[in-house]
This record gives sequence, C-alpha cells and structure tokens, in this order.
Amino acid sequence: MSDRSAPRYTLIGTGIIALVVAVAAVLARPAHSEAQSSAARPANTLQSLAELDGKAPSRRQLNIQNWTTAEGARVLFVEARELPMFDLRVTFAAGSSQDGNTPGLASLTNAMLNEGVAGKDVTAIAEGFEGLGADFGNGSYRDMAVASLRSLSARDKREPALKLFAEVTGKPTFPEDALKRIKNQLLAGFEYEKQNPGKIAGKALFSKLYGDHPYAQPSDGSAESVPGITLEQLRAFHAKAYAAGNAVIALVGDLSREEAEAVAAQVSAALPKGPALAKPAQPVEPRAGVTHIDFPSKQTHLMLAELGIDRQDPDWPALSLGNQILGGGAFGTRLMSEVREKRGLTYGVYSVFSPMQVRGPFMINLQTRAELSEGTLKLVQGILADYLKSGPTQQELDDAKRELAGSFPLSNASNASIVGQLGAIGFYNLPLTWLEDFMQQSQALTVEQVKAAMNKHLAADKLVIVTVGPKVPQKPLPAPTDKPSEQPLGVPEH
Amino acid sequence: MNALARRAAGLLLGTLCLPLAAFAADVQPTHEFILDNGLKVVVREDHRAPVVVSQIWYKVGSSYETPGQTGLSHALEHMMFKGSAKIGPGEASRILRDLGAEENAFTSDDYTAYYQVLARDRLPVALELEADRLASLRLPADEFAREIEVIKEERRLRTDDQPSSKAFELFRAMAFPASGYHTPTIGWMADLERMKVEELRHWYESWYAPNNATLVVVGDVTADEVKGLAQKYFGSIPKRAVPPAKLPLELAEPGQRQLTLHVRTQLPSLIYGFNVPGLATAKEPRTVHALRLISALLDGGYSARMPARLERGQELVAGASSSYNAFTRGDSLFLISATPNVQKQKTLADVEKGLWQLLDELKTTPPSAEELERVRAQVIAGLVYDRDSISSQATTIGQLETVGLSWKLIDSELDELKRVTPQDVQNAARTYFTRERLSVAHVLPEESAHE
Repeated sequence: MSDRSAPRYTLIGTGIIALVVAVAAVLARPAHSEAQSSAARPANTLQSLAELDGKAPSRRQLNIQNWTTAEGARVLFVEARELPMFDLRVTFAAGSSQDGNTPGLASLTNAMLNEGVAGKDVTAIAEGFEGLGADFGNGSYRDMAVASLRSLSARDKREPALKLFAEVTGKPTFPEDALKRIKNQLLAGFEYEKQNPGKIAGKALFSKLYGDHPYAQPSDGSAESVPGITLEQLRAFHAKAYAAGNAVIALVGDLSREEAEAVAAQVSAALPKGPALAKPAQPVEPRAGVTHIDFPSKQTHLMLAELGIDRQDPDWPALSLGNQILGGGAFGTRLMSEVREKRGLTYGVYSVFSPMQVRGPFMINLQTRAELSEGTLKLVQGILADYLKSGPTQQELDDAKRELAGSFPLSNASNASIVGQLGAIGFYNLPLTWLEDFMQQSQALTVEQVKAAMNKHLAADKLVIVTVGPKVPQKPLPAPTDKPSEQPLGVPEH
Repeated sequence: MNALARRAAGLLLGTLCLPLAAFAADVQPTHEFILDNGLKVVVREDHRAPVVVSQIWYKVGSSYETPGQTGLSHALEHMMFKGSAKIGPGEASRILRDLGAEENAFTSDDYTAYYQVLARDRLPVALELEADRLASLRLPADEFAREIEVIKEERRLRTDDQPSSKAFELFRAMAFPASGYHTPTIGWMADLERMKVEELRHWYESWYAPNNATLVVVGDVTADEVKGLAQKYFGSIPKRAVPPAKLPLELAEPGQRQLTLHVRTQLPSLIYGFNVPGLATAKEPRTVHALRLISALLDGGYSARMPARLERGQELVAGASSSYNAFTRGDSLFLISATPNVQKQKTLADVEKGLWQLLDELKTTPPSAEELERVRAQVIAGLVYDRDSISSQATTIGQLETVGLSWKLIDSELDELKRVTPQDVQNAARTYFTRERLSVAHVLPEESAHE
C-alpha cells in the first residue's frame, strides 16, 4: 500500500504528464489468465517439469535486526553489502485515517515535508538530494505516511544525504507560498480524476463501504476540504504524527550494525518527541446494495466490496490463500478463468483483501463493455457465492500452497522489496518471524479451514456494489467455452 | 520505462574528475553467445539471491505493421499463451503459477517480449515452455475468437475511455507521418474488428524465428549453465529467413503540425513533440547524448528547470514533463507535455510562451557547472540503483539488443556521455527545437467546443 519513492510527489496521477513519461514503456501487457482451473496436472510432456524434485526452493536468508531508538522509534535493519547503496524508509501512523475533521490534512503535511527547511527552499532541497545522486521519496495513504531515501553508501554521499533527510522529515518549515501552490496542484488533480471512471468508482465505493469512518475519505481529501487547510494545522499535525514514538525506521543496505544504529539515531533525534497515535476505531458494517453512477464511457467499471480484516487477524493466512484461488493472482484464478478466459468479457478481474490497521476492504474489481455489464455483475456474484458455498478443491489448495512456496524466494530478492517488508512488519507490529510464520501457517491449512475462514468474513449477500458507466440496453452474455478443463492436458490437438 | 531512458541524462565535462575506477571494476560478469540457429543469448550474473529472470525478445512490434493490419504483434503476444505442441491453451501460465513464477509479456512499437521471474532451480521449465511456443504455436481459432474480445476490452480500458491516452494516440499518428511509429501498438479498433487468426499465423511464421530473437537471463546462474539449457531447448529450432526490417525513418523537417482535440476532460493540456533521431539512426551519437542531457536539465529531477521554473518559480503549470527515448530502432521524438495552472488563470498560450523561453535559452546559454554536476551525480548513482532489480537489468539489455544497439552500452554509458560538451548541447537545441520539426496538440475539455 505504499509506493517506493517517486522522485517527486506526484499530484496529478493520471493524464498526459504520466503518459508522456511512459511513452517508451511497453504499451500492452496482458494480465492473461488461464482456463483448466481445476484439472489434474501435470499431464503435459514437459521434460523439465518432470525433472524438478518437488522440493521448496532455497531462498536468501535474512537476518532482521531490531531495536528501539532513545526517542522510541522502532528500527528494523538488514545488512546487505552486495551493492554500495542503502534504502531508508520511515513509516509514520500519519495517514488520512488521522485527518480528523480535515480530509487531506495528512496528505498535505506529507507533500510539504520537502518544501522547506531552515536555510533551504524547495529547490535547494531538491538540488541537495539530486547533487548527491540520492532519491528522496514521500507518500501518504490511509494508514501510513512514508518518507524514504535511497543513496549511495559512500560516506561523502551518505552523510550529507542523511543530514538533509533528517531535516526534511523532522524539521520542515512549511512555507506559505508552497502550501498555496501544492493546494492548487491537488485541486488540478481532483479535476483530472473526474475523467477517470475507475477513480470515480473507487471513491464512491469507499464512501459507501465506510460511511462515517475515516477510511471513507480519499486520502488526498477533496476539493471542498483542501482549500481551507492552514499552516497551523500542518504544524500541529506534524508535531504529533511525525513524532519518533509514532515512527518505524526500516533500513537495508551497505551498512554495518554500528552505522545503521547511527543512522537511526540521527533520524529519530531529529523528529518531534511524542508517543504513537491511537488506531482509528473499527468501522461498522455497511448496508449492502448497488449504486450506479452514470458516466459516458465505453466500459462499465464494476466494484464489489465487503469489510475484510485488520492486519492482526489470525485468519489472514487462510484468507490470503483463499483469495489467491478466487481472484488474487494474474492467471488461473476462478474469476479470471470464468470471466476472461471462458467468455472474453474483461481484460482483467481481481479480488483482494487489504488488511489495514483496522478492518480494510475485501474488493473485486473489473471492467466490461457497457451492454454486458449487468450479466457480468451477476456472473461475478455467482462465482463468489459458489466459492463460499463449496470452498476450494483440494487440488486448488495444493496448487496455491505450491505457488506460495515457490514465490517466496522472489519476495526478498532486492533491497527495495526487503525494505518494504521491514516497513510493513514494523508498522503493523508483526513479529520478526512473520514471513516464516505466514509460510508455515499457510502450508498447514486444510480445505475446510480456508472455507470456514472465507465464510466467517464474507457473505454473498453482504456486497456493497458500485458501477460506473453509461446506461445502455443490456445484452445476454456469450456462452462460455466448452469446458477446456475437462479435456486431458498435454495431448497435442494437432 | 527502461533504466537508461529513466536515467535520461548525460555526463559532462572534462574538467570533472570522475571517481569511476572502482565503479568500472565492479560491473557484473556478463556473457553473450549465439547458438547455431542464430539465437543470441546474453547472461548477466547476479548472485545476491537464488532467483533468476528469463526474457525472450523478438524483433517485431507495431512499427513493423501495415495499414489494415495494426495490432497484430500485440494480438499475437496474447495468443502466445494459448498453447503449443507440448501444452494446451493457458497451461503454461498454470504451470508457471504453480511454481511461484511471475510471468507476463509486453509489446511495443519495436519489440515483443516475454518474461518469467522464478526460483533458480525452475529456470529449465521457463526455457522449455518458451522454446516450445517459439517452435510450435497452435493458434486455435476458437481461442482467438474470445481473446480478440479481451483485446478490445483492453483497448477500451486503456485508450478509448482514457481521454489523455486517446489524445496521445492521435498525437503520435500526426507526429510520425512517414514511419511505422504512426501505428498504435494495440491497433486501431477497426483493425481489431476484422483481424483473422490466419493473419496471426502469418505474422508468427514471419517473425518468430530463433535468429530474430534475443534470450536474456539475469540472476543466480552461470554462463555455462544457461548455455547448456539454451542449447538443449532452443538448439533444435531451425533458423528461418525473416523479412527485411527497415528502420523507421522520419521526415527530418516535416513542418509544423497542429491538432486541437476536445475530449472528456476538465483541464486543458498541451503536447509538444520534435522529430529527432534516436541512437540507432543518428549520424553523430553525440547529438543524441546531448538531447538526453537536455531532457535531464529540463525534467531530470525536482530541481530541474521545468519543475523549478515553470511549476514553482512562475507557477505557470500545474505539471509539466519532458521525455526523450534515445533507445529506439528508428527516429524518435523529443516530447514535452504540460497542464496550465488554471488556478492562476494561466492559459495554453502562456504555457507555450514559457516553454519556448526554456528551449531558446538552451540554444544561447550553456548550462551551469552545478547543473551538469547534479546530472552527473544522478547518472552515477542510477547505474548502481538499477542493479538492485534483476528485471530492470534484463529489460535494459533486451531492449538495447532488440533495437539494434548493444547491451554493452550500459557499461560504457558514462564514457559516452562524458564526451558531450556544452557546445554540443547548444548545437542540439538549435538543430532540433525548431517549428519545422514540431507537432503540437491542444487537448481541451469538451465544453469549449460549443463556446
């Protein structure tokens, strides 16, 4: 839920600016999925597959070290000496769920960190980082706000980069002209969002799902709330939410333990003093039902949601595995198989549990041509209902476990992925052995346990649904392909 | 965006003493070899974690397509997941998924590429599957009938319902009057409507030959290991003649073109594109590196000229960006886009004036030593940061090879850029930032159409 450092705080997320920057990038990648969802395997003729020994692959061993700074910031550190660089990621419980009655306050505070420190304006700060080859990043979400630094580890680069980072994070001056400018950019961003049916659907969904709860608000606030935010509010928010006791410092890279301790001490000492902020209250159950928003697009966007779980929930491994089978991966899930592969109705359909500080959402989202939207919605609801009723098959569960074990080595292959995991472990107060525990618990799950967990947290009749698209006469769905999963696999047809 | 383009920058000036010795000694072992059937293989070792990425890059993409048959390369990419001799439709994805692999594919105007990221012991499976679909794709008609509907949904999602994407698609069509870069990679909807599976078969048979591909493997492997596997799985696929592929060349100075579009947006914006060469077509590589340096000066960071002056100093734009991809098979575009700061009552005309001030300044005034130093620092650091991701290393290698350059550019890049002088920067600005090379799009909200 937190992107790694973007070189600047991107206020206009969509639109031509992002588009032109991406011009050299690939245009078209299919999130292809596959049929044969529950067929026995392997019946193919792959020699290499037969030669695999079936053991879980080896993986990089991480030695996660942790301690607490004098000011109360929790630190997690992994020494990685292979590349002459390090990643620092400081996470605060300073997301929009702490906005109170001022939606957008957390986001604006975060965006203003690098706009001024004593003796330096925004350009001087940017010149400072960029002149060292260092990347400063910041971002603000519902639960958390992040400030991050990637730098070369050589002392002549590392020390000035850290000094500037500590000032920006701990002692920002919040210049008034910058506040005006960034508000204007946020307002432009809100205007841009109005052309995006997916964004419109997402906002409406969170509003319906969370009602009066702070998660209901978009984390950037709104065109109504942002203009009135004052410098005094930013300063007060920074003083309490960017306090050392409310921070988690994750550090990965070419540093000794002593150097890492010094880095953490420096960052922590620069922060305001104060304790961790309380979590928001748990949300209350929303009212189920469908909301349609008219929009002149070719496709209709469909979003279906229920309240899910918080990050401490012991059912998380079972729900994660259960969701992986339903719609959690790019291919081979029940949703992808039925909606895309067998019927060609969508480019992609995904389901996700987002565990948060308090109950985050379970969501399914997809888009389809407007004239088939009603039939597609019914199809998706039916797939969910059927899955809850019958649970996964043994084959599906075995496959999902194998997939999870196989993907484990990928999860800590880069410094960037490790620092993200350390940040999450620290922020959600998970044990240092969390990754290993998660793997072991997942591998031990039975079909009955997964089914029970899914049904404990979800019900087919509790869905909050938002659709955004044009009102057009509806057509029936095309017939599905004739069950390729029943054909024997691996036998060439021609 | 690939690593080199993202770095987008140049290195300068003889007066600077670069601490590069340690750096240069530290490059990762990289090996290349060519099988008898013409398949080129590049292996880069990275032993930090027991994982590996395998990518195969084909020299075919939308710039190879002809009118009436747009979108073929991308549609074929989708159909490459629909079965080959050893496996049924979709089965490869299931197998890889169960092994915990990440896999996907991407198509651009210059290339089509497929990749798998997986634990090192599973590399043989990825290679066997990849070789099988290179040798024996099935292309079943019933699968195609459904998949083309998926592709149309993809087009609606990413282009037709995205006003900015739609505008940019039309802008490119105007900015590239002569070359295949005119064609959108996903294809025009009318061509998707009439595409036949037989056309895909012909496209596959024309371009999917081992001698038209590059296999890139980065990760916890050795060259010998990959050589053995490549020979085992790809070695028996016969070499085949492929059609001659001509570089997409553009008119040097087509004259100014202007497009005004009213789309479903709330804010006006503008796009500028200058017809310029890429590294593969430039007579003098230094001019290309000078353009890369200019792009970094304009938009290489939050301290660069566009954010510092247009966004903050003058508060002329809500956002602006420049980009230049030098690593293309043919000629390229130097792109600028901007959205006026409407809260400050700025108009597109104001923004154009501000942009030309920046461009004209590049023609007359050399960049300062501090600016160049900052760009240099970012390039040096970027070379280290890119090594944190095996996928981004592989992508850079694959893209360079596929557009007719060499992966060795990665390791010699600093030296190449070092040769660029402030005079080169001025010359490039004077040569390329002219009205004769310019395409302009004004992208406006629909309401103004009725005013």
